[in-house]
Amino acid sequence: MQETTRSELFTVPIGPQHPALKEPSHFRITVDGEIVTDAFVRLGYAHRGIEKAAESRNWVRNLYLFERVCGICSHIHATAYCLGVERLAGAEVPPRAQAIRVLVAELERIHSHLLWLGVAAHEAGFDTLFMYSWRDREAIMDVLEGLTGNRVNYSANVLGGVKNDVDDAQRGAILRAIDGLEGRSYHYLDVVTTDALFLQRTRGIGVMTRNQAEVMGAVGPTARASGVTRDVRVDAPYAAYDRYPVVRVVESAGDLEARFVVRMRELFECYRLIRYLLDNLPPGDLRGRMPRRIPEGETVSRVEAPRGELFYFLKSNGSDTPERIKVRTPTICNLTSVVKLVIGHQLADVPMILAGIDPCFSCNDRTVQLDEITGGSRIWTWDELRRNSREDGHGHRD
Amino acid sequence: MKLATMFPDVIPSLFRPPTTERYPFERRPAPERLRGLPVWTRETCTGCGLCATDCPSQAIELVVFDKKAKSIVFGFHVDRCTFCGQCAFSCKQGSLTLRADQWELASLGRRDLMVHFGEAKDVEDVLAGITTRSLAGPAEEGLGGELSPPTEETGSG
Amino acid sequence: MDTATSLAAILVFPSGFFLLAASLAYEWVDRKLLAKLQNRVGPRWFQPLADVVKLLAKEEVIPEGVNRFLFVGLPIVGLAAPLTAALYIPLAGLGPVFSFPGDLIVTIYLLSLLTMSIGLAGSNAVGRFSLVGATRTLTQLFSYEAPFLLALLGPALVARSWQIGTIAEAAGERWFILTQPLGFLVALIGLMGKLELPPFDAPEAETEVVAGALTEYSGRGLALFRLGKDVELVLGLTLVAAFYLGGVEGPLAFFLKTLGLLLVVAGLQAVLARLRIDQTVGLWWRFGVLLVLVQWGVTWLLEGAWR
Repeated sequence: MQETTRSELFTVPIGPQHPALKEPSHFRITVDGEIVTDAFVRLGYAHRGIEKAAESRNWVRNLYLFERVCGICSHIHATAYCLGVERLAGAEVPPRAQAIRVLVAELERIHSHLLWLGVAAHEAGFDTLFMYSWRDREAIMDVLEGLTGNRVNYSANVLGGVKNDVDDAQRGAILRAIDGLEGRSYHYLDVVTTDALFLQRTRGIGVMTRNQAEVMGAVGPTARASGVTRDVRVDAPYAAYDRYPVVRVVESAGDLEARFVVRMRELFECYRLIRYLLDNLPPGDLRGRMPRRIPEGETVSRVEAPRGELFYFLKSNGSDTPERIKVRTPTICNLTSVVKLVIGHQLADVPMILAGIDPCFSCNDRTVQLDEITGGSRIWTWDELRRNSREDGHGHRD
Repeated sequence: MKLATMFPDVIPSLFRPPTTERYPFERRPAPERLRGLPVWTRETCTGCGLCATDCPSQAIELVVFDKKAKSIVFGFHVDRCTFCGQCAFSCKQGSLTLRADQWELASLGRRDLMVHFGEAKDVEDVLAGITTRSLAGPAEEGLGGELSPPTEETGSG
Repeated sequence: MDTATSLAAILVFPSGFFLLAASLAYEWVDRKLLAKLQNRVGPRWFQPLADVVKLLAKEEVIPEGVNRFLFVGLPIVGLAAPLTAALYIPLAGLGPVFSFPGDLIVTIYLLSLLTMSIGLAGSNAVGRFSLVGATRTLTQLFSYEAPFLLALLGPALVARSWQIGTIAEAAGERWFILTQPLGFLVALIGLMGKLELPPFDAPEAETEVVAGALTEYSGRGLALFRLGKDVELVLGLTLVAAFYLGGVEGPLAFFLKTLGLLLVVAGLQAVLARLRIDQTVGLWWRFGVLLVLVQWGVTWLLEGAWR
């Protein structure tokens, strides 16, 4: 099945196993020589049935389940879940707990952006930047470990508050880490905006106009790099963001370089916020009262994950297990932009454009069971899902 | 536009030791809040079972023979535990703590990863599959019996 | 040279066994230097040897639909070519084993045979990534080969000879890096392009085309190709050092100069991001050739004025 590469169209599969992807997904890129003419994305390789599993576990256990939707933004998932459940229960969360939630969320944002910087640099072939940014990221991981007890999946939240307090030792450690990181962040911003070879891979690549961003529904730093002024922390403050306001970081160029700049500048905003927060932590308890049975109702929880707007829909039927929880993660909004933007670029730009949206495929897998005869969809039970995934040997039929 | 902006990082690194932590030859001390292996104290336990209900991975199997006499066996699947700390949080008596110094928990077989805490007689019964005992008759064992330290009894051979 | 000495030279020293050992050692130095520059630990000294041994011990998977003869034979050609080229290059500070007028051209051709066999191997395999990688390899071959050869011809111009031995001796008298700095720059960067070292590693860009032309290779074929690349590293460094850094008169000078050059190469690998294939080609056909021609012009004038 030999195919020439000259003027015949040629399909390059990126994924599900590919060194460019940190998580499995499938992109079918049609190229003409080196220019991309079409792209098609197929997800589903990291689907774990979390939303279905949530329906058979009680509210307390589900906190830890939803924390593991994503490893990098685990705290923000847990926060969104807690905020929703607390709203359904009408529970009061003490201000100190909300502030600590914000603190951990901003620390997580720093860690996520540094991780992304390294990964994007690796996609560009700039392994040195990858190694150094991940080395600096260790400082934040150590701070989070000292504060919450784990480097990833911090489990800082409980329903009604937080588990761990911030004492003087913790405050000192956090401030020291941030002081060290700030200098490094200035250096990385400098590298990203002035390194000639790196700019050749990022400037003018993957340009998304503001209109395109709005139409395709891009969220988060990807959209803010194209001039869309949307940030859930500012538009709809949750947790303690009304007490510790954030400034939106927006760029207008819309290319890959702008996405790098937005995330690097967001780091500075995080440092500023954390310093202000640590100086103004309200005193008080760490948790409020929480019933075990959550009253009936539906609610929506919107938070700003490092990748964009994270959206939770929670429905309770009055018992101690949820009726339905639906998660809409930011990457699924940004993926459409990838598929549209790669057209016309070179094959070598595809991993860069994909890395530019900071993809997190674990978050965004969905499965829909379509009934071929009636054309409608059907809801699977937990057993059916497990049987299909395990016993048939593969999770999805083509 | 500059060339080689990482230059000032790269050249000094030639003269500095690498940042890599050479585990297992060098071990840094764990921070005190590290969530390591959960450890259970029998004396304060009331047998309410909230820890087992709230464990996200169902790693705890609590067998309560007699609440008053504290004849309780705390069975724990180390391999299922995610070290989230919810059990320690749910316990209102503070019977559970996560030890910061026990975090190297790898094992070559699954049998080592099921541990039982409790008094020797109770643990023997649980390992033999007995999970209830009639409460008629005085609690002859347990009171005044040897309090076995929370050893990592392996599953039955 | 009688048969026994020739055989010894080909099989043991300075080509053959010594060259293979040296190439593994140079690969280790390159990886270790790169690691140190990135603030990491890096591999231990026997890692390249361990890699080769492991690869030789693994099963060679031959994909369906390829030409089996080519698939198995091309790695052998790919290793044999640089080993043959080594006979004309002054290794380890000794003179070249064999020498004849015009052997510079033959050597350059033999050195490029490795890249061509990698390109052919990629085209032979039926995977998508192999084909894209092969295209890039061959594109890069066409673009850097000319400037690299022209840069090596700069000292040849001055020495008025196309024989490597003679040029190396002429280089021993004065350091051409001082009189032909542009040529040295083009030769050094050309060497990195030839070896597909970052920033010119688009043909085997891991995040784009998995492993490029070598994607379908495993086991013995991959081991031979890797060895071939390592041998080329040593030979390329020796050539550039011999021509521009004042010849390689003895073993000490040989190791010092080539390792010094390797340090520079590793440094460049660390601080530069990867170029896209079209940027590589553009860079070469514009700046590379231009610089070399300018250098030639200057050399010609100066030589004419000198003599």
